[in-house]
This record gives sequence, structure tokens and C-alpha cells, in this order.
Amino acid sequence: MKRNNMKGRFRLGLLLSLLLLLLTGCWSSKEIEDLGLIVGTSLDLETDSSSREALEEQEARNSNKELITITNQFVTSETTGSGAKEGKKEQKAYKNVSETGEAVLPTLRSMIEKNDKRAFAEHSKVIVIGEDFASTFNLTQTMDFFLREIEMRPSGLLLIAKNRASNILESIEPTTIPAFQLVEMMKGHKRTTKILPPMTLAKLQGKLNSRASFLLQSVTSENGEMKFAGAAVIEGKTKKLRGFLTGKELEGITWITGKGKGGLVTSFYEGTDQPIIYEILSMKSKIIPHVDGDNISFNVKIESEGRIAEHWVLSEKTFDNKFLKKAERATEKEVERLVKNVLEKIQKEYQTDVSGFGTRLKIEYPKVWKKLKKDWDQTFSEVPIQCEVKITIKDYGTSGE
Amino acid sequence: MMMNSQDKITASQAVVVLVNYILATGILTLPRTSVEKVKSPDVWISVFLGGIIAIIAAVIIVKLSQKYPEKTFYQYSQDIVGKWAGWFLSLLIIVYFFTISAFEVRIMAEVTSIFLLEGTPTWAIILPFLWIGLYLISSGINAIARLFEIIFPITFVLFLLIALMSMGIFEIDNLRPVLGLGVMPVLKGVKTATLAFLGPEIMLLLVALMKQSEKTKAVKVVLVGLTIPLIFYVITVVMVIGALSIDGVVTRTWPTLELMRSFEIPGLIFERFESFLLVIWIMQIFATFTITYFAAALGLAQLFKKNIQPFIFGLLPIIYIISMTPKNINDLFKFGDMIGNAALYLFGVFPVILLFISKLKGRKT
Repeated sequence: MKRNNMKGRFRLGLLLSLLLLLLTGCWSSKEIEDLGLIVGTSLDLETDSSSREALEEQEARNSNKELITITNQFVTSETTGSGAKEGKKEQKAYKNVSETGEAVLPTLRSMIEKNDKRAFAEHSKVIVIGEDFASTFNLTQTMDFFLREIEMRPSGLLLIAKNRASNILESIEPTTIPAFQLVEMMKGHKRTTKILPPMTLAKLQGKLNSRASFLLQSVTSENGEMKFAGAAVIEGKTKKLRGFLTGKELEGITWITGKGKGGLVTSFYEGTDQPIIYEILSMKSKIIPHVDGDNISFNVKIESEGRIAEHWVLSEKTFDNKFLKKAERATEKEVERLVKNVLEKIQKEYQTDVSGFGTRLKIEYPKVWKKLKKDWDQTFSEVPIQCEVKITIKDYGTSGE
Repeated sequence: MMMNSQDKITASQAVVVLVNYILATGILTLPRTSVEKVKSPDVWISVFLGGIIAIIAAVIIVKLSQKYPEKTFYQYSQDIVGKWAGWFLSLLIIVYFFTISAFEVRIMAEVTSIFLLEGTPTWAIILPFLWIGLYLISSGINAIARLFEIIFPITFVLFLLIALMSMGIFEIDNLRPVLGLGVMPVLKGVKTATLAFLGPEIMLLLVALMKQSEKTKAVKVVLVGLTIPLIFYVITVVMVIGALSIDGVVTRTWPTLELMRSFEIPGLIFERFESFLLVIWIMQIFATFTITYFAAALGLAQLFKKNIQPFIFGLLPIIYIISMTPKNINDLFKFGDMIGNAALYLFGVFPVILLFISKLKGRKT
């Protein structure tokens, strides 16, 4: 009996001492106070020659390679906690660290020499690329690191900045974090036709591997405030920035793709030139390709339902169906103008198909597409496109005036 | 005798074992491997055809095993083709089983060391996994089946949940055109797709381990047991390609995990869902590892007509060494292809021949 007890105690002791091993905590854990969470990254082409010289000296070699400047936006325990402290100068909610180098990762790594926090990119939300950078480098090459690194999540967004991208990550409001602000602003694409649906790194991969051209949301910085401004056209062949579309032109693209979820169209009443504002409730578009031998043409059928949200026309009342018909017609004309306008630009000036005509052709005529896909952008620039718009006004709110 | 009659499983347990065996590494890599071959969005049709082929092969295996309802393949193969040829065939299959279990362990270690346990040495991930597996299979098929019965519903619910959540980034245009380039591309992918359904070979021994009264249901077992993974695979392929497009899938090492990392849903308790997928996936790998480990040990025990325990312990270091052999992840994928090709011959061709011979023999006597 006693022996049995001894044995039991021995076993219990063994079990308890083994349990101690489990109490030691996590293998390779990282304390959050010691982390610098990267929430946004910007990439720029380095034009300043002094930093080039400094780097050459350091690396002890001479080369004419283009240099890149990367700015990481960090959120650390200090930046988030200190805002409320009294008696201190108000501190920014973020900390930007910049570094210059020849490739992405070495540059990021040399930030270690400037920063006491361990950089941690699992919460990285957005990558902003500068205009010069995008038109100099092939995106497939420069994005390689971001698509390869485990810490970078494919749900991150990609944006193109007009001018320098690092300016976008600066804000005059000390309490806001520009990277988060960008992500929140991106959600506005549901209520306007001037913002593109978000391009995540996950979706980007497919675009980079195909030869198709595509659009990225572009953003600009005005007096320390960021603002979305149209879209950047990335050419499929070179994967470089081809040019920008204005907000108005982006509206045209949204009408062609039919992917908008809401927004406004401002048209002017015949004769009096007073504005009528049409609010989009639903939007549908159909791109119909026609193939006749070697001749390819497209028909774009756009249908939309919406309401009159505002009108300045004094002489008419929305109770009157005739006026609604006229308003529909005016809106149709305006949409048609937007579409024609952007088609002119992407076909003639940029010669890139960024509005999904190629995709439709691929779906409807896969065999024709197989022959054409290599030089599609070239072919696209000469294809005739017809456009039909049908607008239906369903209601006019609470005023019949 | 008492022990033996206790250690049998029911038909529904057999289904669960089969499903858990089939669902393994394939679910993470199938979208890529099949798109590489097919090069059009019709991959899901290839997966469908692959499943049908696997079902046909499985039915043949079951028919063969049902001719000798009390014996496993290791025993009856000697009745069909003679002692030495049967011995040799059994040995090949045993080697196949423990090789595949080593492969699963290594894939598990690779994925966890990238996505979960960065910095943990590979051996530290593999060893506990092996030991727990050893502990499980030393209690026999019944314990294995009962554990699988716990794993299966968790997998089922979580998988469907996260698949639904990825609807937000799904784009139907990525899956069109359907059959745009004819059926040829689809057929090119069938072999790869079929290999994702490796697993019905377990019926070579499972029929013998099923309860007496339920052995007649074995054909139903494979039909149900293969249809469930078929549905899982088709959903996976459709969702992954729908979100990432075929151009995007081909360059991702683990496309299905990529899909789960591509969206965040704020507001729910979790914003990120790849850890869910990894949880169920590691459980599935564990299931595949244990059942193949058990099949190999059982085979050796039956060949040498000895107790199974020493073989279980003896196989452990062998599995460990094999799992550590591939030098990098490319080698590992190649190793996987090799196993798949071996399986095509072992379980696609041999059962047909054996069934034919046993039919001839049956007529003579």
C-alpha cells in the first residue's frame, strides 16, 4: 500500500516537473512594446544626388543604378500612448522612417540602424508608390518582395501617388495615421464613381502575371491633406506607369465596367443650363463584342436606375413625367459624354485597355482572344466602340418641386 | 479473438477514415498544380473528372477486397499470385504507405514553420507530431476512427465557413469562359486532379477491418467517402481561382492559404481567417499521417505474422529520416509527384490485374 503511494507520488512529481516546461512561455515570441508595427509603406525614386553619394561611399562602389527611397510608417507603443499625456508637446500618432538603397529588402533592413523597434509588417495596410518610381521600374520586379514576404498580407492595398509618395504618408493632423486614413477613404468607392474598387496585393498578382493593362487608384497630397485623384494607368507590356486618368475620366471607366455601387451624375437642363443631379441607385453594363472575320467591334450597353437628388430648374416640377423624361435624356447624354471622353483617351492617347474589353472578348470569343492577346492593347486602340445608355429615374425624394 | 472482434469499425467510421485520409496536402496546392497543367479556368471540371476516375479505381479496389472479406491485402495477395509475388507486392505497398506518411509530416512542418512557428526548428515541429501519432495508432484502428470522427465535423464546418467568407473577393469573370478552348486543356489536368484523391487504397485493408455485418456496404463507403472530398476540392478550386484568377494562382506556393490571407472581415471576433484553415489542415495532415503509418505497421506485422507494436516503434525513425531527406521545398514537391505516380501504378493497375486473376481462379475451383 505504502509502496503504491510512493509510486503515485513519484509519478505526480514527474508530471508536475514536466508541466513546468510548458510554463516557460512561447518560443520566438515578440513583446508588443518592442515592436514597430508597419502600417504603411511608400516607394520613391531617389533623385537627390547627395544621398546617392553618401550611399556609394558607404558601399564603396560606384554605379549609376537608380536608387529607391522607402518610407515606412510605424505605429509603436510610444506613438499611440503619448497623445493624451499632459505638459508635453503633442506628438504625432505615427513615426515615419526613410531609407535609401538599391533593392527593397536591403533598404528595409538598413532601417534597423535608425530605429529601436523591431519592424513588424503583419499589420501593413497600404503600399503607396510614387509617380517617378512607377514610371521607371517594372512593377513585377519591385513588388516581388511584397508578394514573397510571409509577413506582408495579400490583403494590403496598392496606390499610386502623384509626385512623391512619401508626402502622402505625412499628415498635418497629428492624431491621424495617414495609412489608416487611406484604407478608410478607399471604402468610399461604394458611394462615388470616382474611386476604384480596391486593388489588393492578392489581385495584383494576377494582373502582373497576365499581359493586361490595369488601373490603380491614384492619390495626391495637397497642403498636407491627401486626396484621391483619378486613376493611374499601368501598361500591361512594360508594367510601368503610362499616365493618369482624371476623376471625370475615371467616372467614364466606372460606367463602362458597371462596377460602381453609387455616385452622382450632374447634367444640365436643356436651354436653361441649370444643373440636375442624378443619384445612382444601381448600375449595370454589358460589353458585347462583335467578331466578323478580322473585324472586331464592341457595343457597350449601360443601364442605370436612380433618383433625382437635386435640381435647380425653377420652371419644372418633378411631379411632371415629361420633366423626368427630359432629365433622363440629359443624364444619358452626360454619361455618354463621360464614356466617349475616356474611350478617346485610353484608345488614342494611352493605347491601353483598362476597362475590361479584352476580358469580355476572352469570355465570348476565346479562340479569337488567343490570337490577339499578345498585342491586345495595340489592337484595342483601333477598335470601334458603340455606346448605348439607358437611364431610368425611379423617384425624386420628398419634394415634387 | 476477443480483441480482434472488438477492434472493428462501422461503415460510417470507414467513410470518415477515407475522407480524412484523402483531404491532406492537396487542398493547399491543388489550385496551383492543376492550373499549371490546364492553363484555363476550367480546372474545376478536371477536378470533377479526377474524382470520378478515383471513384472507379476505388470501386475496383473494394470489389477485390470483398472477395476476401476476412483478409487484408497483405494476406490475400499471397492467395492470388502466390507467396513470393504477394510478399513483394505487399512490401511495395508498405513502402508506399510509410513514404506518404513521411511526406505528409514534412509538408506539415514546412507550412507551420512558415506561417505559424517561424524560427522553430523543423525537428521540433516534427517530433511531437510523430510521437502523438505513435500514441494514437498503438491503440488500433478503433481509436484512430474515433479520433477521426472528432476531426471530421470540425473540418466540415470550419471549411465551409471560411470558404463562404471569401465570397467577398470572388469574381465570376475569373472563372469564365467555360470550356473556351475546348476539352483538351481539361483532360491535361485530369491526372493531377486524380492524384489529389489519393486515399481509396486504404480500402485494401479497411474492408477486412470493418464489422462483419457492414462489409457489404463497402461500395457505398467509397462512393460517399470520395464524394465529400470531391465537393471540398471543387469548392476550393472555384473560390481560389475566382478570387486570385488563373494568372495569379500559378505563382503562389500555397494558393488556398493565400486566398484566406487576402481578405479581412472586421467586426467579427477574428479579422483574419488563415489560422482557421491551418488548424483544420494540420488536423487533416495528422489524420493522413496516422492512417498511413498504421497501414504500413499493420502490413509489416501481418507479413511477419508478429505483434504490431514493435513495428510501430521501428517505423518511427524511418519515417523521420525519410521526411528529412528532401533538401528544399522544390524537392519536396517533386517527392510528392513521385509518390503520386507510384500510386497510379500500384492502385490503378494492380488491383485490376489481381481482380482478373482472382476471377479466373475462382472459376477453376
